[in-house]
Amino acid sequence: MPGRSLLRYVARTAIAGWLTVSSLFLISRAYTDSAAFLRSSLENSSRPLPAARRARLTQQLLQRYGLDVPLFYITPDSATTWRPSWRWNGVRNQYHRWLTRAVQGDLGTSYRDGSPVTELLARSLLYTLPLTVLAAVCSIGLTWGIVVWMNVRPSWRSMGLLSLHGLQAAPLFLTATTLLLLLANPDVLAWFPAFGLGLEDLEASWWQQPGRLLYFLVLPTLSLVLVTLPGLAVQLDGALQQELHRPYIATARAKGSSVSRVVWHHGLRNALLPTLALLTELLPNLVAGSTVVELLFALPGMGRLLAESAATQDYPVLIGAIGLVALVRLLAQVVADILYWVVDPRIRVQV
Amino acid sequence: MSRSRVSPGLAGIAGGWLLLIILAAWATPTTVPIPDLARAGYPPFQAPHWLGTDPQGLDVGWSLLQGSRTVVLISVPAALLTLLLGTGLGSAAGFWGNRLALTRARAVAGAGLLTSGLLFWAQLAAFPILGALFLLLAGSLEALLRRTRWGRQPHFLPLDAALSACSALLDSIPLLLLVVAVASVQRPSVSGIVSLLALTCWTTPARLMRAATLQVAVQPYLEAARMTGLTDLQLLRRHIWPNTWQVAAVRFPMTVAALISLETTLAFLGIGLAPETPSWGRILSAVRQAPTAWWLVVWPGLALIVTLLSLHVLSRWLQDRMDVTNTSNNLLT
Repeated sequence: MPGRSLLRYVARTAIAGWLTVSSLFLISRAYTDSAAFLRSSLENSSRPLPAARRARLTQQLLQRYGLDVPLFYITPDSATTWRPSWRWNGVRNQYHRWLTRAVQGDLGTSYRDGSPVTELLARSLLYTLPLTVLAAVCSIGLTWGIVVWMNVRPSWRSMGLLSLHGLQAAPLFLTATTLLLLLANPDVLAWFPAFGLGLEDLEASWWQQPGRLLYFLVLPTLSLVLVTLPGLAVQLDGALQQELHRPYIATARAKGSSVSRVVWHHGLRNALLPTLALLTELLPNLVAGSTVVELLFALPGMGRLLAESAATQDYPVLIGAIGLVALVRLLAQVVADILYWVVDPRIRVQV
Repeated sequence: MSRSRVSPGLAGIAGGWLLLIILAAWATPTTVPIPDLARAGYPPFQAPHWLGTDPQGLDVGWSLLQGSRTVVLISVPAALLTLLLGTGLGSAAGFWGNRLALTRARAVAGAGLLTSGLLFWAQLAAFPILGALFLLLAGSLEALLRRTRWGRQPHFLPLDAALSACSALLDSIPLLLLVVAVASVQRPSVSGIVSLLALTCWTTPARLMRAATLQVAVQPYLEAARMTGLTDLQLLRRHIWPNTWQVAAVRFPMTVAALISLETTLAFLGIGLAPETPSWGRILSAVRQAPTAWWLVVWPGLALIVTLLSLHVLSRWLQDRMDVTNTSNNLLT
């Protein structure tokens, strides 16, 4: 890509990320009920406090969580005098403080247990990253294999498509629950563990850790793969079918290539292009899916962190996690655009 | 590319099942049944609880019937709203593109009205009569500017660019995460969740509608109709919508299916709706307390799968009838 369009592209991506995270911050902070937050924080100390002490404690709490200054540069002012009903707050506001800290890599501390958000995110990524990457690799590989197989052996195609459509209809939580009940249940088949990751990690020595992690991740990965596979496979199959009816395929066949060689070397390469768009959504969608899977299989990963912080209105953690997902999505978009550019020479000319 | 058509028998079965769901939703009483505590966690195929009971002693069959009410009452209005929003915005973006023309006089008056309304919102809320004054001022400004040559020149609004920026921003976060995040902020209620779903799901129908409108907008007959002096709204109503509404109609069952799986996922996670709302997802989530109770998964799971498959069949059948191609639905929930 030439320099200027690359620059414009990067700027657009950065602005989109900034807008997303900022609007999330503003919406969540605008809804933080600071009175309810104070009540729940003060109730932890069970003794009734004298009024002066209580006021001081309140002030300290508000200062600690950054709730003691106005939300934004301008805030609405409901006084009905003949002045504009907005008040200018200068840089002494929550958004400015949060943004300057976020730029320096400090996302604040959790409302729940006071630990830094970055640390919480890093700890949960330790489980989510293997899960999502494993699921992505497996579903891409399986999609590839199934589509090639369906097209090389056309007699199985309608059968395969039918089962793919059936699988596509099932929501993730249903697939995952079914797998859990069938394969991790002492009454049916107890092949895999239903929970327990992150509990006794210290007992296993370091060389056992990856194997142990893998053993715990089999069922969550399988359920994620079963849900993402049908969409990808149906899309790739449709594109491949369209390619296989083109004249150049007939030429290749006429020159003596076998069916499998035509599919592998000629059709698939051209069918990849429409499927790339779906790949950009794969990784963020897997993170979203891991919310359900991690809750169900009790994995201490990012999806669970997200769902728990949403349920307990722990906004710093929620914003950090969602911002990270949005960032991944934007990066995936960039990677996909580069891939388009690599795969299709026509796009290079247009840019 | 030839695609197998949906047989009428299959479409009939799918339609019949969906009718049954609607009937169940309409006929089931809303009263919460009394839990049968003596038979909590009871297996199925025994009187009086033929489908078993959950760990709280509620009858699973009865909860299923009541859950169908939630399914219908949330997903159908949300899908209608989604499609209305998506079709409106999408066809506007496709029809006008980035060249929605206003005279400069109108643009200036409109901008003035908007800024003054924003600046003095508190006074407006206190004395609504001020609004009439603002309108009068804006109207006279427009009338004044209209007389100048500068004011009569056109000003273009970048409608299409604004819309695509909006939908790119919405799409940058997976739908489930967005709904989970927003549902944590608002109080759980049916109207809240319906509007939340509609406001986040409109991007796909809008994109489809925009593409369909763009295809129609370059046809010669539209040029001819424009030459006869029809206004933009008349063109949209008489010449564009009759050719594009099928896209939205085919999309409807798919949207309902996506919303049903999103709603049951939310209920399964316990987010967004009041915890006592009966839902298929909530029956399923009870299995986490009683892992041996297979009947808590099988019945709601079957109901859910059959409903979603019926909606897919219905969508395919509509596609066959109306001869439009539809992109596959890839919401992961």
